[in-house]
Amino acid sequence: MNAPFRVIGKSFPRLDARGKVSGKAVYGTDFSMQGMLHGKLVTSPIASGAIVSIDVERAMAMPGVYAVVTAKDIPAKRYGSFVKDMEVFASSRVNFVGQPVAAVVARTAEEAEYAAKAVDIQYKEDAAVFTTEEAAQADAPLVHPEWETYKAVPTVKRRGNVTNEARLVLGDVEKAFKESYRVFTHRFATNVVHPGYTEPRAAIAHWEDGDQLCVWSNTQLPFEAQATLAEIFKLTPSQVRVNVTTIGGGFGGKLRLGVEHYAAAAALKAGRAVKFVSSCEEEMTSALPRQPLVIELTTGVTKDGKILAKAASILVDTGATSGSGVGVASSVMLMLAGPYKIPNLRLESRSVYTNKTPTGSFRAPAGPQGNFAVESQMDIIADALGIDPLEFRLRNIVEEGDLAPNGQKLESVSLKECLLKAADAIGWNERRPAPGRGKGIACSWWTTTSGSSGVYVKVGPDGQVFLNTGCAEIGTAALTGAAQVLAEALGVELSSIQIVSGDTASTPFDFGAQGSRTAFAVGNACLDAVGKLHQRVKEIAAKQFSVKPEEVTIEIGVAKCGDKVLTLKEVAAVAQASQGGLIAHGTFIAPPTLHDKERTENMVITAINSPSFHAHAVDLSVDDETGEVRIHDYVVAQDVGRAINPTYIEGQIEGGVVQGIGQALSEEIVYEKGVVRNPGLTDYKMPTAMDAPNIRSIIIESPSKVGPYGAKGVGEPPVITPPAAIANAIAAAVSARVQTLPITAEKIVKTLSESGLAEK
Amino acid sequence: MDVVFLEPQSLEDAIAMAQSAGPSAKFIAGGTDLIIQARKSGTWPKTIINLQRLPGLGEIVEAAPNWHLGALVTHRQIESDARFLGSLLALRESACVIGGHQVRNVATIGGNICNASPAADMLPVLLCLNAKVTLAGVAGARVVPLCEFIEGPRKTVRAIGEVVTQVQFAAPAARSGSAFLKGGRRRAMEISIVAMAAVVSAGADGTMTDVRLAVGAAGPKAIRLPEVEKFLEGKVPSKSVLQEAGALAVSAVSPIDDVRASASFRRHLTAVYTRRAIETSWNRIVELGNDRSAA
Amino acid sequence: MTEVPLDLNVNGRRYRLSVPAHATLLDVLRDELEQTGTKTNCLEAECGVCTVVLDGKSVASCTVLAAQCNGRSVTTIEGLAEGQNLHPLQEAFVEMGAVQCGYCIPGMIMTAKAFLDENPRPTRDAVREAIAGTLCRCTGYSKIVDAIMVASQRLSQQGERP
Repeated sequence: MNAPFRVIGKSFPRLDARGKVSGKAVYGTDFSMQGMLHGKLVTSPIASGAIVSIDVERAMAMPGVYAVVTAKDIPAKRYGSFVKDMEVFASSRVNFVGQPVAAVVARTAEEAEYAAKAVDIQYKEDAAVFTTEEAAQADAPLVHPEWETYKAVPTVKRRGNVTNEARLVLGDVEKAFKESYRVFTHRFATNVVHPGYTEPRAAIAHWEDGDQLCVWSNTQLPFEAQATLAEIFKLTPSQVRVNVTTIGGGFGGKLRLGVEHYAAAAALKAGRAVKFVSSCEEEMTSALPRQPLVIELTTGVTKDGKILAKAASILVDTGATSGSGVGVASSVMLMLAGPYKIPNLRLESRSVYTNKTPTGSFRAPAGPQGNFAVESQMDIIADALGIDPLEFRLRNIVEEGDLAPNGQKLESVSLKECLLKAADAIGWNERRPAPGRGKGIACSWWTTTSGSSGVYVKVGPDGQVFLNTGCAEIGTAALTGAAQVLAEALGVELSSIQIVSGDTASTPFDFGAQGSRTAFAVGNACLDAVGKLHQRVKEIAAKQFSVKPEEVTIEIGVAKCGDKVLTLKEVAAVAQASQGGLIAHGTFIAPPTLHDKERTENMVITAINSPSFHAHAVDLSVDDETGEVRIHDYVVAQDVGRAINPTYIEGQIEGGVVQGIGQALSEEIVYEKGVVRNPGLTDYKMPTAMDAPNIRSIIIESPSKVGPYGAKGVGEPPVITPPAAIANAIAAAVSARVQTLPITAEKIVKTLSESGLAEK
Repeated sequence: MDVVFLEPQSLEDAIAMAQSAGPSAKFIAGGTDLIIQARKSGTWPKTIINLQRLPGLGEIVEAAPNWHLGALVTHRQIESDARFLGSLLALRESACVIGGHQVRNVATIGGNICNASPAADMLPVLLCLNAKVTLAGVAGARVVPLCEFIEGPRKTVRAIGEVVTQVQFAAPAARSGSAFLKGGRRRAMEISIVAMAAVVSAGADGTMTDVRLAVGAAGPKAIRLPEVEKFLEGKVPSKSVLQEAGALAVSAVSPIDDVRASASFRRHLTAVYTRRAIETSWNRIVELGNDRSAA
Repeated sequence: MTEVPLDLNVNGRRYRLSVPAHATLLDVLRDELEQTGTKTNCLEAECGVCTVVLDGKSVASCTVLAAQCNGRSVTTIEGLAEGQNLHPLQEAFVEMGAVQCGYCIPGMIMTAKAFLDENPRPTRDAVREAIAGTLCRCTGYSKIVDAIMVASQRLSQQGERP
């Protein structure tokens, strides 16, 4: 099916592979500057309280110490995505354990670490809240007593600890429940999981000429880092230059500022470049993990398995700052309707502060949480109705032209194909092949995030092509994918393309490596650039051929008119000699996804752009005595629109599934009164090579109208569905339905013993 | 940070150095525990005495029926030693589930027992083998049974200036089988939530004789379960016998709740692993032991 | 600060250094020798990104004191390629799509290197067991296992050549 393409659809090795396998790629932790100092944070040991005093005298006297930085050293300023509730350093109050209050700057990282222990901070502890159920009560202690003074986007409706109340309503749910054959209500709860990138967050900041801030960091979003740093330090964005190093994984955990702001504040006070690297403990206690959700889901069905209505009450625990949790509270409602046709909906969602780690936008924010609830309940209902879970889904899934819950018209819908292919591959006809063994299936949809992208494409006189993008390469190989789009359209080999990325001063703006958009949006910007380049090529060649530009045709890598031929390289040489080179600025912005605004209330994310569809199927065994789960086979059928590079698409699927298996079975940041009980990799249990099954990917290509060559977003979806698929398979294997994540061996055994099913 | 690093070339030197450095000195071998603990606590020992250069402590020596494992023998050496079969198979099974290759390549048996973690995986097996620990000090060497050597969590009878030089045990009778089982969330890189070891010998009458069972991570230190052993001796491992043994084992352990598991789940697993460890050991006698006894 | 002399062979080059007694091998490689191919993360031998080969064995360089390495030989990721020619493991990682963010890859390749030196023709399961101490968050491990299997074949074939 890829016959017409030269470059698209082929599994070329990524363009940055050599540097990565040889140890030469320079990551954030590797980057250094002559004369730089090292910083270490001093963090709050309490979950809620007032800062009474900060005594830095003893720390300042310690060996190698240059400065101790606190909130007093920088402008008083709150910042944030939807609600401006964040501070660089706590100024008067702390609201979670691990919150930075000061930073020590010293000659070596070790000296900074020792001196940090000598900073004496006194607190007056206040009452704290740790669960959303408590925090959402009217009389709960306030995580932010001054919440009313914070600025926020106009869409959100706030009250006390609640940072938004959003709704999605369609039809008449009460009436539909009355008409239902049966109505099911279940409560689901999900876990706090860390993105788990192997490279901690790292940054070096350096002030040039007093008011020019230069930062090198492993951020996913250099332009957002630039804008936020400018906001914090009261600069214009152009006074801040952010350079992205090689990034050791992001998964959404490096979207927002990590340690850049601490480095900038420290460098400002110390008058020297300062480097910060998060420790593993800081990662586990104060990075940006996935929001835990509590979802109460009610579904009414007909006797023959048609869903009539769904109602949900959702609490999103954002931790001590609202962050992207406000967005999660909106997008989870698009997930909770599921990829199903449902005539009546009443979904209500609240994002709520608690005195815990601020949360972030871990890969497919809201995806796994919502999907776990919807798809677990689908199986429970199917079993209760005596309908096969696959069949129950097929009776309700959306099809081409159907409306999504927000009223948007769905196009390029491939869900049925995904489900049937995944089911077939896993051997669905034998759902319980042996005692203790079972198969589970689950499906989902996901958005391809919009936002604008710009690229400069420059062709050199040697035929080398520079793809200059403001988007960072976080490891997915999505920029190699964009380069494949460019090579295909421009008529050059992939090997002749060099990528220059992630410098806010020299690259065009890009909304950044987030939301499965990189290859999609940067690829499209490349196509726009190629259109412009080809026009220039025609003009230049026409002059050389002494014909009109419209008489020139472009074939692969050459301009032609009759028997006159100029290669791209030759055109570039002419352009370099006569008009400053052959270069184009390509741009892209996804068209808005039209939907019914009447259905949504206070939602900050309202549409599923260029939706992708996916189904996961898993075959596993459960030891009913120990609760141990062993995965035998895992199949993913994912619609990617167009497979630009099949190997790296498989890589996204395999990696995402294993990350999802971690959320499903083993990973959880555990809190006790706001204190993380497992702040390290000994007890934060990410899957090892022994835990990861072989995963079979079935790539489905149902082209989107918008994406380059029909591509859809690829990166986030694989992490969404594993918890539900695994929960369903476990229930099929041993009849243990666990409704909270992670599904540990202990929970399985407990569920079995409560239901009397465990072998005594 | 002022750490003195000493590197004795002989056992006598090591003892003398430790004696003169006093309680603030620590021995280092593989270093995998010491360095992590020092970094986490922010306090380093004043003196670190490297034992890795001591000659003759890195070998596994068989002097039938006795085995002598030098204190510097690594986990990888143990797991890769094909001589550990039958009643000694559990030793390999327990050595190969600690950390990754990187840790097992350096972590030593001496360090493992001196660290005396309640969850140390090799300890239940060594307890089942009635292992003895040799300590060398100024006054000469002494041999202490492992069950007495470990006093509690991270606490041993080793005195300042004493170096553990070897661990020794006698291979159980020919018609014996062994097993090691552990529970954790992952298949690798796990600190056990319960670790169980068994060595079972079969008598001429077809019943179990000399049953040895030990559990780790289910109390402040790894322990043998003598009540269960006594109950099982002279019996065949029928379903009901194993069921009762499991229940007996549960009453002998005192697990805690922690972030890895609840005490009640640890008790549950203690029962399950008791049954399975005995049964597996017994089945292995049938599988492997017959050949051995015939030989 | 008490320093100890350190005579260390890194990738075939001999270094005579003086290092703090509590400095780890990782500290010396990255900070003293400024060879950052060996990565840093958890500092408790749980993640494996700092893996190097010490006298033929893979070790977590974050939990080995540099002082303990006196007179010993270390191979790091920087020491694998011969000039511009990548080592078969590095080549296979590139070809099989085993590299995503790449931060675990130096440690992963060094883990695999020591393992293949001892077990030239392992099974896939043995490879999974061998790399269990080196976490990768991007790939789900399948393509890493593929790459190590391909490299093992090529290395064995090279070895069989006269």
